[in-house]
Amino acid sequence: MHISKYRKTHHLRDPKRQHPGVAQMKDALAEGKCSRREFIRTAALLGVGATAAYNMASHITGERILPPMIGRAHGQKKGGTLRFGMVVQEMTDPATFDWVEKSVVSRHIAEFLVLTGPDNITRPYLASGWEASDDLKTWTFRLQKGVRWSNGDAFNADDVVFNFERWLDPGTGSSNFGLFSAMLRDSGRKDDKGAAIKEMVPGAVERLDDHTVRFNTNTGLLSFPENCYNYPTTIVHRDFEKQGKDLSKNPVGTGPYELAEFQVGRLAVLKKRPGVNWNGEPLLDEIRIIDLGQDAGAYLSAIASGQIDAMYELKLETASAAKQIPSINTQQIATHKTGVIRMNVNNPPFDDRRVRRAIQLCCDTGRQLEVAHQGVGITAEHHHVAKTHPEYFKLNPLKQNIREAKKLLAAAGYGPDNRLQVQCNIGNTDGNWEQDSVAVLKEDAAKAGIDITLNVMPAAKYWDEWDKAPFSITSWTHRPLGTMVLSLAYRAGVPWNETGYNNPAFDKALDEAEALLDVDARRAKMEKVEQILQDDAILVQPFFRGVFTATSPKVKNMQIHPTLYYRFHDVSVG
Amino acid sequence: MLLLIAKRLTFMLFTMFVVSVILFVLLNTEFAGDPATRVLGQFASDHQKELWREEHGYNDPLVVRYGRWLGGFVTGDLGTSIRFKAPVSEILWPRLWNTAILGFWAFAIIIPVSLLFGILSGMREGSKLDRSLSVVGILTTSVPEFASAVFFAAIFVFGLQWLPGTSSMSDGFDWTQLVLPVMVLVVYDFGYVARMTRASMAEVMTSQYIRTAVLKGLPYKKVILGHALRNALIAPFTVIMLQINWLLSGVIVVEFYFAYKGFGALLLEASLNNDIALLEACAMIAVAVAVTTQMLADIGYTFLNPRIRFTK
Repeated sequence: MHISKYRKTHHLRDPKRQHPGVAQMKDALAEGKCSRREFIRTAALLGVGATAAYNMASHITGERILPPMIGRAHGQKKGGTLRFGMVVQEMTDPATFDWVEKSVVSRHIAEFLVLTGPDNITRPYLASGWEASDDLKTWTFRLQKGVRWSNGDAFNADDVVFNFERWLDPGTGSSNFGLFSAMLRDSGRKDDKGAAIKEMVPGAVERLDDHTVRFNTNTGLLSFPENCYNYPTTIVHRDFEKQGKDLSKNPVGTGPYELAEFQVGRLAVLKKRPGVNWNGEPLLDEIRIIDLGQDAGAYLSAIASGQIDAMYELKLETASAAKQIPSINTQQIATHKTGVIRMNVNNPPFDDRRVRRAIQLCCDTGRQLEVAHQGVGITAEHHHVAKTHPEYFKLNPLKQNIREAKKLLAAAGYGPDNRLQVQCNIGNTDGNWEQDSVAVLKEDAAKAGIDITLNVMPAAKYWDEWDKAPFSITSWTHRPLGTMVLSLAYRAGVPWNETGYNNPAFDKALDEAEALLDVDARRAKMEKVEQILQDDAILVQPFFRGVFTATSPKVKNMQIHPTLYYRFHDVSVG
Repeated sequence: MLLLIAKRLTFMLFTMFVVSVILFVLLNTEFAGDPATRVLGQFASDHQKELWREEHGYNDPLVVRYGRWLGGFVTGDLGTSIRFKAPVSEILWPRLWNTAILGFWAFAIIIPVSLLFGILSGMREGSKLDRSLSVVGILTTSVPEFASAVFFAAIFVFGLQWLPGTSSMSDGFDWTQLVLPVMVLVVYDFGYVARMTRASMAEVMTSQYIRTAVLKGLPYKKVILGHALRNALIAPFTVIMLQINWLLSGVIVVEFYFAYKGFGALLLEASLNNDIALLEACAMIAVAVAVTTQMLADIGYTFLNPRIRFTK
């Protein structure tokens, strides 16, 4: 793949140029084919400023649409300390972060090219803006000028190039390697087990000048800017490796806070750096992140007794208790976080579609949501696209059908004398609702003659074999677009394909849907995608989850984020 | 006496060696999982994990890796924790000290309270006081720590709002944060020690020499303090020493619930994450504490009980 191929299509540094997709989206909004939210989101991804996108939407619909309050509210006080309850994990290398919590600390020290707000809109940040080629394969990012690292160096294109090249080096061990797989190619080498080793396409990251970087991808990638706010995509200093490859020991960043104290498993203290205001001065003087361990009850006790002011997540098991306490404010947000009880098609008995379908038919999604998740969330339809995803297509509902399940089992050779017996791995990696969900399925499946054994294991152990286990429940995080998660989890051969699913028809249908900017057209294409996935019955997906957080009344302007990417620049206390 | 100490110390080293071998083998089996996944996270590719294992010597034979660990341990290098990505010694000692503080205050209350209750009960076996104290003791000991922790938190944190709900001491030492964990430990353990003291006291009270002392017309107070008590305390002394062992594992629940940053919570976290170096170090501490307390119990016993005092 040669760079010049892209040069033909790109329109470098013509700030007035608007991506043709924006005009397409404007028409779609005017004709009522896409929602305002989807218009603003996509226009922002295509390089239109978020405020401009909101204005365009107001103009087209004739209604005044105000951006949700992401700035500051009237009367917020400067100064003070926020005490935030969250586990404090090691924070060595942002590129290899595997827990969002780590990024909550680092987000205040080192920053990102973009910011995706609680409204799912992606805004420029260290990048002052970007342009995409018509085919969405070339992305040109302009960087902020005048930003300085905490060690005094100027932030520039070398930093961005360094980070991308580092992420796309398999030796780094970054999950961004999979996220930006559209910038990889087969190296021709194989590892000890005979699996192909991938490497970055030469020229995939180009430094055009001190403040411009261009990215070339193999396939159109609308979510490119959004990917740049994925939690391991923190931009570290270009000398990060020379400085010892440890952010907690050498916390050099462009952010307004410095790491004053850091003790894994105990405490992280962030203090405001004087005079850092390239993006405005934050309100809080100090942020204390207090580790109260893994017990959900400890966080509730701490906020009830005034030991912390806010917490990372109010777990479902403590949410109803928290709502009874007048001194605690709870916040809930609808997300696309979910648990999929997935079956790996390479392992018997799940290589038989009839068996998989029978298990799927045992699921009562409504009861699942009520019993396992206290009704907090929305029911799902076994294809990992939520009703609230913009491109969701409503299929005919697949309801619980025990009789049909029994028939399928009989056809597959199971019956009263030869009951189907399977074991489901559970790591409770995101809460005990995972176990409850499988327990509900177990009850329902028993009616059809299927015996499910629950194999509960520590979370760390679960992740050892999550992508290989025959039958297990995996928690997937929120993603704004349905196609994003389908690409990550169900395309043939992708790293996170835990079901071993390999269906060229599905991949082709997904390609067609992903290449379309027009939501209406994409939605029409999604019918096939969703139907194939549901019919192949590789997963039982009962619901998408709502999540909570809790704050004390003295905390102002703290908004829960669907991926819990907290950023306290506009939060105040008192 | 010196011989006893020397024997015990040798025994301790031998036990530590055996435990370390068993642990090392167990932690390196298939069952324990892959350290590369722990460090690189669940989404790392097989190739990335292989590179990491090679770089960190996990592809060497088990014996070589054990030898490397043992060499480090003997020279004071406890290795690096994969969970905390820091030297084990940096994490372990402060945590152990925190548990020592918690244990000290728990025992500072358990010992006088349980001895007093035990002696009062044992003095007059079957009396109303004995019955009442026995019921209280049995009742509190039968409530597990995870239940009493929730119960006390409901009363003192959520109800009366007298006490802080967690004990992470993130702003430095705060005695109010110690109250609930100590309370849970005391309530769980004092009944047991009191029952043992009671049994021992009751047995002493039925012995010939006490009857003689009473019949001689000695005041009751003098009989108890001067004659009964010393003998009655021999058995509880051993029990109390063994409670130190219990405490090392018994604090796990309490430390977890109240987010107290101690040894028990560390042990739990190390086990859940298959943190080999940290688990090995914790196990060595546990063995050392177990053997040392046993040794102290034996030595103390010889002072309290002249009948088994050593002649050499």
